Amino acid sequence: MSDYTIIGKRMPRVDSRAKVMGKAKFTADLKLPGMLVGKIKRSPHAHARILDIDTSKALALPGVKAVVTGKDTNGTKWGVFAYTRDQQFIQVEKARYIGDEVAGVAAVDEETALKALDLIEVEYEQLPAVFDPMEAMASKTELIHEDFPDNINVHVNIDTGNVDENFEKAYYVREDTFVAPEESYFQAEPYAVMARFDHEDCLEVFCPNGGPHMKSKPLSNAFKIPLHKVKIKKVAIGGAFGGRSEICPADYICALLAKKTGKPVKIEFTREENTIATRQGHAMITTHKTGVDKDGRVLARETTCYMDGGAYSSTGPIAASVPFLSMEQAYRMGSVRYNGYRVYTNKPIRGMIRVHGRGFAAGLDTQLDMIADHLGIDPVEIRLRNSRQPGDYTSTKSFVSSCAMDETILKAVKKSGFKEKWGKLPPFHGIGIGTNSVQTGFPMGIRGGSQSFIKFNEDGEATVMSGVVDNGQGNDNMLVQIAAEELGLLPEDIHLVSADTETTSSDPGSYSQVSTFVGGHAVKIAARNCREKLFKVAAKVLKVGPEKLAARNRLIFVKDDPEKSITIKKVVRISLLNFNSVNAEGGYWPEVDMKREWVKNPYGQMCEAFSFGTTIVEVKVDPETGKVDVLEVTAAQDVGYALNPLVLEGQFEGSVAMGGQGGMLTEYHEWKDGRCINPTMLDYKLPLACDMPKINNIIVESVDPKGPYGAKEAGMSIAMSAAQGYSAAVSNAIGVYMDSFPLTPDKILLAIKEKNEKNQS
Amino acid sequence: MRLPRFEYLEPGSIKEACDLLSTHGDDAKILAGGTDLLVRMKKGLLKPKIIISLKALKELSYIKKEDSYIKIGAKTPIADIIASDLIQKEAKALASSCEKTGAVTIQHYRGTIGGNILQDNRCHHYNQSAFHRSGRQACHKDGGKICYARDESDRCNSTCQSDGATALMALNAAVTLVKKDKKRTIDLVNFYSNDGIMPHAMEPNELLKEIIIPLKGAKSAYHRLACRSAIDYPIVCAGVLIKPDRKNKIRDARIVVGAMGRSPLFLAKVSSSLKGKSINDTNAFKKASRASMDSAAAFAVHNIGASLEYRCQMVSTMVFRALEEAARSAIKAEQ
Repeated sequence: MSDYTIIGKRMPRVDSRAKVMGKAKFTADLKLPGMLVGKIKRSPHAHARILDIDTSKALALPGVKAVVTGKDTNGTKWGVFAYTRDQQFIQVEKARYIGDEVAGVAAVDEETALKALDLIEVEYEQLPAVFDPMEAMASKTELIHEDFPDNINVHVNIDTGNVDENFEKAYYVREDTFVAPEESYFQAEPYAVMARFDHEDCLEVFCPNGGPHMKSKPLSNAFKIPLHKVKIKKVAIGGAFGGRSEICPADYICALLAKKTGKPVKIEFTREENTIATRQGHAMITTHKTGVDKDGRVLARETTCYMDGGAYSSTGPIAASVPFLSMEQAYRMGSVRYNGYRVYTNKPIRGMIRVHGRGFAAGLDTQLDMIADHLGIDPVEIRLRNSRQPGDYTSTKSFVSSCAMDETILKAVKKSGFKEKWGKLPPFHGIGIGTNSVQTGFPMGIRGGSQSFIKFNEDGEATVMSGVVDNGQGNDNMLVQIAAEELGLLPEDIHLVSADTETTSSDPGSYSQVSTFVGGHAVKIAARNCREKLFKVAAKVLKVGPEKLAARNRLIFVKDDPEKSITIKKVVRISLLNFNSVNAEGGYWPEVDMKREWVKNPYGQMCEAFSFGTTIVEVKVDPETGKVDVLEVTAAQDVGYALNPLVLEGQFEGSVAMGGQGGMLTEYHEWKDGRCINPTMLDYKLPLACDMPKINNIIVESVDPKGPYGAKEAGMSIAMSAAQGYSAAVSNAIGVYMDSFPLTPDKILLAIKEKNEKNQS
Repeated sequence: MRLPRFEYLEPGSIKEACDLLSTHGDDAKILAGGTDLLVRMKKGLLKPKIIISLKALKELSYIKKEDSYIKIGAKTPIADIIASDLIQKEAKALASSCEKTGAVTIQHYRGTIGGNILQDNRCHHYNQSAFHRSGRQACHKDGGKICYARDESDRCNSTCQSDGATALMALNAAVTLVKKDKKRTIDLVNFYSNDGIMPHAMEPNELLKEIIIPLKGAKSAYHRLACRSAIDYPIVCAGVLIKPDRKNKIRDARIVVGAMGRSPLFLAKVSSSLKGKSINDTNAFKKASRASMDSAAAFAVHNIGASLEYRCQMVSTMVFRALEEAARSAIKAEQ
């Protein structure tokens, strides 16, 4: 049993009630007096030179207040890195995908704004377009970006040396290629942004985000105004999954329209715009070549991946690395060579996504199962022989301190009955296992740390300020739980001010799984510092040393004599009457290798902690329809320490839905000449609640030495291992190792048919 | 997405509705639940000047047995059909099809049987936003002269994905249409036009009043395949009807395949091939299922999700499963 009062407890989230009752305000709900409706004119062509834009008819329409085009911008190009600045917020020379921004309109209402869009006349010269990365690299037609030969946007090369030698030494080597198309996030909330310039010429913006400070900097650059004049405000956010990580051209267009009209402007995306004009997950063609010794231990691995990056760089260098990094964290490899190519195509822009390449991860694990099959080892054993261990260094030289990978495997195996079922299930009934690892943080340079401020009010309650954003995963609750635990208050005594660039300090944002580890840690330190101030005052009143005190349930008491106590409220009032403020700050900067860089130097300490997850899936396949019935999923993750098991279970279940049930069985996009055929929730087959299987959640705690209370990333290792577990289970059920994902019924039927034909001949 | 502007009329009686239709027919659309109509309007596929809501016409919601017919009012909620013992017992195919339509909330709250069988045909190149449809030529259904689903097709190849239509055609149902001072009843087989642009024979000034299902001591079944378990149109479906004689031979059979063509496909030749076969004759069912696949495959194009090859293949499985179920319940009834 822990000594914690609030940490580790199953506490309903502080934001749940407002959300389920429909009271929480999302960006689309916001209204300001005089607010105009903004709309974006998008290119209907996949690759086209913009010859002329005539806005005169649109401007003449009554009710239209402003029209902006590329001419209204200073031509600044946006990119996450200095070497990937390739995207203008409004295109001037050419459009590179169907959906690219070419103009913006602000009008008194939606009907007028939409009419105005139709009245903007854009003259295009259509250019040959490419929709496939292999085709794009070989294409002799006009490059999508002239500075990037062969349309190769990013090339990540990692080589630990000795790869070829180790392949020579290997007892068994095999090479397999796996493919998976792009996927979408389908955040519950379609993107929306509201912007205005206030009376002090400060730009105020409300929008879903993965980190408010990642929005303010590019806006400050684009408008050439100081950072303190860009206020990204807190608002309820309906999901991110990696798709809200960057500035969105709509943010800039909305702010530009607000500037031009002097009025607040709001742009709400349609579901289609959210699908095609925010981000998608990369389509990938991945070849894994693996060499093992007689016992199935990996001696050498070479992985080459071609990623369809779409029209712009986005987080390209990161997205081209993380699929590989997750696998090199999960498994020991004697030596490894990785070449990741992110290639431009005339398709929507691809960014980060929670599963980081379903074909990549599921391919690597499928191949491991094939190797185990060849050697006569079972899938559990081969994983245990290659699994990451505490005290290891990863292939790219990150030290792994806490690691309970084996415990997640063993506990999931036990709970699911894997050993009893493996090889003994009836035909078309299968079980499979996947294991993965996710980093708790990326090297983020100047924005790698988080700071928090806490102030006490005279009623004994506290206001906590933190830059951490909550986009659905429960970060607000996490911060409140930590502050309440450390200050000896109840969660309802804490008022959280967060994710607001005006009042809260810089923070890495919530897209590198680092919010608890860094932002939560900062709150913990600030609260501890604040508590020390309270203890100093209380110690005088209670006539004991401050080290003898503890705080709990709004009281400060003597540890050895709990009857001796004083209320926190009283301590605060005494302190204030004695001219002492009761507030404090705290900050946390993870010790990572600041020289590590995605492309130039992909070696060194990546982050301070890694999480590990195992998912075991049991399925039945209908051999007549190819449909998969998922009987049970067992998800086990080493989360370091469970701050709130209730929230964690929700994360696990959401991960199974996204990584497994949807990502591996039904979700994919269809295209016609660069047009997305299924951008809506009806046509893109997200699983519904009634499609979901029974899920067993197993929380494994390795208590990370650096994490707050020992906590680290939670949930994403399940999303990734679920993808692997689902594919392994289906492969096991039909007796064919699948290499093309998702595993739709047509592919499953075809695999069964080909297997039967092979057996007959 | 907002709805385009329209005038909203709410007649208080069928007569009043017919009067309004006779005046505004060409400019008006009927609202009976709206789960199909409003979505199309939001996408800009339809811009009716007038919406005539059937909200007040309570008299269009009923399920009753009259002589040897089941009669269902056009505005009867899908949920009422599922809850009806009469339909569960005598018209199983319809009950099963309704259970699969939309989701529980849609069945209960808004969806009506009339709306379901009158829903417009669908195609993933047509049921798209105005933005999606811009920057390229308009397709046949959108007023143009091109088909994106089948190269060089001179006509629209949109697909009828109504669950109810397939089940009701298997049940040999008819519909009663009314207009000012006139009334007609037409079999569903003749009602559906096989025209992707205007998929049924309803005139602009007509109102669907009633669905009539003949009771012939037959057993029916409906099977469908979709990508997920709710809020999904079928990618292929089959409705069948089997009427056995006293010696357990099939006296009459009807096989209808849906979500494969511009209308539900009544496969008359395949159906009659089952006549005289024993109700236990699995081989005959298999043969008929394969023949159904061959017949239906010719009509289908890749335009509603899932690969075309897979959908064609599944015709056989769905027809076979439906035949087996109908035969089983016929045998059970005999015992």
